[in-house]
Amino acid sequence: MREETRVTTRRLREFGQDSWTMQRALDDGAYEAARTAVTSMTPDEVIELVKASGLRGKGGAGFPTGVKWGFVPKDVLPKYVVVNHDEGEPGTFKDRELAERDPHQLIEGIIIAAWANQAEKAFIYCRGEFALGSRRMDQAIADAYGKGFLGKGIFGSSFDLDIVLHRGAGAYICGEESALLDSLEGFRGQPRLRPPFPAIKGLYGQPTVINNTETLSSLPSIVTNGAEWHKKMGTEKSPGTKVFSVSGHVNEPGNYEVVYGTTLADILELAGGMRQGAQLKAIIPGGASAPLLTSTDVACDFESLKDAGTMLGSGAIVFMDESTCMVRNALVTTEFFEHESCGKCTPCREGTWWAVKVLERIEHGEGRPEDMDLLLDIADGIDGRSFCPLGDAASWALRSNVKLFRDEFDQHVAERRCPFEGEHGEHKVLVGARPRGVGLGDAGIVDQPAAGIATDAWEEGKGM
Amino acid sequence: MSVFSPEVRAEAEAIVAKYPNSRSATLPLLFLVQSVEGYVSEDGMREVAEILDLTPAQVLASASFYTMLKKRPQGEYLISICRNISCTHLGARRVIEAAEEALGIHAGETTADGRFSLEAAECLGTCDGAPSMQINYEDFYRAAPDDVRALIARLADGEEIRSVRGEPVKTAKEIARETALAGVRTSPADRRSGRTIGGEVPPPDASPGFRPPVLGDSDA
Repeated sequence: MREETRVTTRRLREFGQDSWTMQRALDDGAYEAARTAVTSMTPDEVIELVKASGLRGKGGAGFPTGVKWGFVPKDVLPKYVVVNHDEGEPGTFKDRELAERDPHQLIEGIIIAAWANQAEKAFIYCRGEFALGSRRMDQAIADAYGKGFLGKGIFGSSFDLDIVLHRGAGAYICGEESALLDSLEGFRGQPRLRPPFPAIKGLYGQPTVINNTETLSSLPSIVTNGAEWHKKMGTEKSPGTKVFSVSGHVNEPGNYEVVYGTTLADILELAGGMRQGAQLKAIIPGGASAPLLTSTDVACDFESLKDAGTMLGSGAIVFMDESTCMVRNALVTTEFFEHESCGKCTPCREGTWWAVKVLERIEHGEGRPEDMDLLLDIADGIDGRSFCPLGDAASWALRSNVKLFRDEFDQHVAERRCPFEGEHGEHKVLVGARPRGVGLGDAGIVDQPAAGIATDAWEEGKGM
Repeated sequence: MSVFSPEVRAEAEAIVAKYPNSRSATLPLLFLVQSVEGYVSEDGMREVAEILDLTPAQVLASASFYTMLKKRPQGEYLISICRNISCTHLGARRVIEAAEEALGIHAGETTADGRFSLEAAECLGTCDGAPSMQINYEDFYRAAPDDVRALIARLADGEEIRSVRGEPVKTAKEIARETALAGVRTSPADRRSGRTIGGEVPPPDASPGFRPPVLGDSDA
């Protein structure tokens, strides 16, 4: 039986109900790594340690954390650390659990990152919908001030650090780091042109380090155990551990922390296997943005998944069994991207909209034989033609659904119905049941019931 | 007629003081409006604009972007049922349908008595509990049609409901207030003095990217 390698999830797994409290965290040795960093290491030594550890960002892009820090200019003040806790990639729920159940590990990571980059103010951009996580972090920050771990002269040093908790308000795009900064500055969350990168000009135009919650939560153990310890885990190019969020048709969905390079088969086994012995049909290996796989014989590290034509992304793995209609899977995924497109770039805004219309008619048995090529054409029209990766992601997901399961799409068109309809009670598409697009006037602005809008649009769509 | 009472106005000032640049307080102040009005009203947006030294249009531009900021009156309880990948494949549509039937409204609407709003939400970050849902942003796992009917009945009867994590469900106004005030008690401003509202503007190049200068834009 495959075992987890619990590092960032160790405390929250060991201490069940009270892992998030200051007392439990202190009893478990929390804040000693931050104390060590601030009182006995220079900022450059911390950066070198993180570089040597090979730690890679765990939010999606996998960029080496120490290298990212290295881009921050030394002589420009003030500098900021921003925590990307706007977890929203469909299938991902690791940052939520880490912050809800071990906020002190995150705060300790923030202290280490702030010291390394000489930032005296850090912002936690907490996803708006995460009420409990925000409540826990709010309390944890207050407790950390109370202990002198935050505020003036932390750990008795001359280093000051404040953490500001900030709530988002419901927009997936704000997980993209430059959109997050615009949102934190009070604007619509739309991505910025890069360069300049946030490390040079970020929040309020100042040098800014933006790291994901899981990435920052990984720092205390690296300071405590050293770079060599970290590099011994995982693969050469993807060292360490990763928390994978496993969901879908598995017996025990949840977060599982394993070393990079663990196969999808082993992760599936950890999650209790497929439900009721059902047959595996498709796997989303790295969040909704990642192209699908059909085999579990793939190692989960950045390189192996790239070689398999997909990506590790945020580490969200969705296992789907043979009851899954892949047209509907493509529809749900594309509807998501259409809803979350910020509206800035035409290919993403319009392309996702058209793709949804075409997918809807296929799913409703009104598809045309040329629709599959049309979908691939729409995907090509979006890919690489928008400002930020949201558009690309939408096209990758769409393309892989059509290419891998083209027979099923053809079957929908030939039979003029969804072959899964009626077979499974849950299989029913509610047109118009979803909220209207962010950035395009949401349900509140257009004072009109949501149902009906999509029907009208569908009529328009027939003219394409 | 002010939307904010003097007490709420003081809270608004405490929120603004969290940030080096007052404009960052736009979203929390809009949540504060929602906590008073039940939604982001036009009067509320005007008041936020005045507090932050912005134009009402600038505030509307931000307000209209975010799904949690509601632009028309909302129910006391917002039921958000996830419609994304894992939840859909595990039966979310039936749960949405059951809620629609129980409430007599479509997703995206509010009941005539103002008690409930229903929405089909994008991924709530709780796929381990699929099909998952939130009531005023507290989590509920493995929602079956019968569960959602029962929860609605209990809320309608005024019963206290607790989430899967044991958190009591607050009213929409209460949770908006909590969201607005997140981080205020630990705000570094508590340990400083002499800060005023709208006083700081960022340096001219503070917001790179394609943002053309706009007349009256405080940071253009």
